[in-house]
Amino acid sequence: MSAASGVVARFGLAGGGAALRVRFIGVIVFQLLLMAVFTLARPRFASWDNLQSVLFTAAILAMAAAGQTLVVLTGNLDLSVGSIMGATAYVVFDLTGTMPALGPWVVLIAVLIGLVLGAVNGFLVTTLQIPSIVATLGTLSVYRGFVSFYANAKEVTVGELPPWTRSLAAARVLGLSSYVWIAVVLVIAVGVMLRGMPWGRELYAYGSNPRAAYYYGLSSTRIVVTGYIGAGIIAAVVGLLLGAQVGNINSLLASGIEMQVLAAVVIGGVSIWGGSGSVYGAALGAVVLATINNGLVLLGVQEYYRLLFQGLAIVAAVAVDALVQRRVLRATRRRSVGVAA
Amino acid sequence: MRRAIRAYAPELLLVALIVLAAMWSSTLSPYFLNAVNLLNSAQFFVIFALMAFGLFPVVVQGEIDISLASTLAVGAVLMAKMSVAGIPLLVGLAITLAATAVLGAVNGVLVAHFGLPSLAVTLGTLGAYRGIAYLIAGDAGVTGITPDYLLLGSSWVGIVPSSVILALVVAAGFWVLMGRTAFGRYSYAIGASPGAARMAALPVRRIRVSAYALAGAMAGLAGLVWVSQYQSARGDNADGAILFVLTAVVLGGVSIKGGTGKTEGVLLATILLGTIQTGMQLANVPGTSQRLVVGALLIASIGAPRVVHLARHAWTTSRRRLSPTAVAQD
Repeated sequence: MSAASGVVARFGLAGGGAALRVRFIGVIVFQLLLMAVFTLARPRFASWDNLQSVLFTAAILAMAAAGQTLVVLTGNLDLSVGSIMGATAYVVFDLTGTMPALGPWVVLIAVLIGLVLGAVNGFLVTTLQIPSIVATLGTLSVYRGFVSFYANAKEVTVGELPPWTRSLAAARVLGLSSYVWIAVVLVIAVGVMLRGMPWGRELYAYGSNPRAAYYYGLSSTRIVVTGYIGAGIIAAVVGLLLGAQVGNINSLLASGIEMQVLAAVVIGGVSIWGGSGSVYGAALGAVVLATINNGLVLLGVQEYYRLLFQGLAIVAAVAVDALVQRRVLRATRRRSVGVAA
Repeated sequence: MRRAIRAYAPELLLVALIVLAAMWSSTLSPYFLNAVNLLNSAQFFVIFALMAFGLFPVVVQGEIDISLASTLAVGAVLMAKMSVAGIPLLVGLAITLAATAVLGAVNGVLVAHFGLPSLAVTLGTLGAYRGIAYLIAGDAGVTGITPDYLLLGSSWVGIVPSSVILALVVAAGFWVLMGRTAFGRYSYAIGASPGAARMAALPVRRIRVSAYALAGAMAGLAGLVWVSQYQSARGDNADGAILFVLTAVVLGGVSIKGGTGKTEGVLLATILLGTIQTGMQLANVPGTSQRLVVGALLIASIGAPRVVHLARHAWTTSRRRLSPTAVAQD
């Protein structure tokens, strides 16, 4: 089945690729519809203040979703993203509390933590051949359990955070939160890497057809592990940013966010089968999700409708992807029959 | 004798581990090793055992259901609501089992008929069913459960809690179902090779949907036990319990890739996890840190066979390199 999208990459956007493009445009239309409905129901939705807050939520989600994309493209999942965020934020800011001299080096420490935790995930999935859902469900609780063990029911308070991280979280550039700009830069950077660098092309190649990639001589272990490491590093940095914004950090920071991140990625059209979709789609999915969250709050709808809506959105997006995939498959089959004749 | 040992090697290993864990626990507290205490501790793992039995056939078929803890929450709040509304226990139980079986069947239909990956589907319904549970229960949850609904969690047969007997009866039922019926044989066949099962004209879709519906109903039954033991129900009940349940299933020797596994293994693994968790509670390990141990066990139980394989491979290749005859054979 997953061979289809690989063939699309070879034949360009013609034929079944049109279905993928329709899928992307569909998400944009859905986003515009959402905004129209929310604006009509609650005019306050369209106010500049509110849109800023939507974009801020979207920024955090979009960055995490960009990391998750690197894993989903290989046909795997990373459920431990929330635990990596929480673990990094707690450990790093606990360190800065005792060692204020660290300064900007904290970012390097965060990157190292993300690298190690991501590499562990990658090791479990490749070398030990544990299905990614099970492996990362395991590390989700191992990493979280580690933080709670390390934290010992204590909190990192705002005062322990380096002042520059706090001012970064509060800073505004061109009227928007600095996090929005960081997210834009990060998403574009990952997008360019995926499109232009051999590593990015390998992720797509492996995800769309692991066996073909193997025969071509690509190392599946290296590709999947680097995907997980990339996701781990991004999650760690996002955890740092989230921690700086939240201020008082306990051992439960960002727990449960994996559902939202996955929802963003899947809604954005990154195929759960791997090999298809883009990081821009994932970022768009994050904006859609942030819009829904914000709009439901404005409508005064209870929190649990959000859970319901989010869950249904995942199922619906996956169902649509299955349809698109079938379309692509049929189109490529027709094409290859034409080539043979 | 040797053949028997080999056939039951994983189960014997689990028994040995249970004995070890029990010995460790009894060093932590002098009160641990006492029949009454053991049976009373056991009743707190009945909920997990029921869910693990429900998940077992799904995993044997090579699929997964991570929405079961949310289904349990729906079952628990339904039971609680009906108790408060004065509906008789058996009617309430029948309605709950039917409703949770439908929730399970929805997963099954999406997987078997629409060909969607079970992981993505049940990840979605994990959130959606949790939302439904909140929707039924409201923010405050449900309390004031009537005595008939509490009977299961507050009665004993001799020194054995009723809920433990329920778990053992269900275990026997699954032993028969998976070992002695067409459903069981088909499940193993589908898990071992879905393509071959389809070629052999097995009703693959129907068997898949039935397994998911059964898993849902078992989660509903676990919801009854929940209400009877905790005397209340809320939307966030059993949040995160799927980690324990999935660990019990794979630790019990059910391959996550499908096709293998025994009911005895699942039962023993649940007892082992229960013993370890009780021991950690005696040692005052906080709840979130206990998750670290369960998560590590989950990874270890799936990764261990692969590590053994890799180690053996490395051993034989290094020996080959040393012995000139072996090289000549290559």
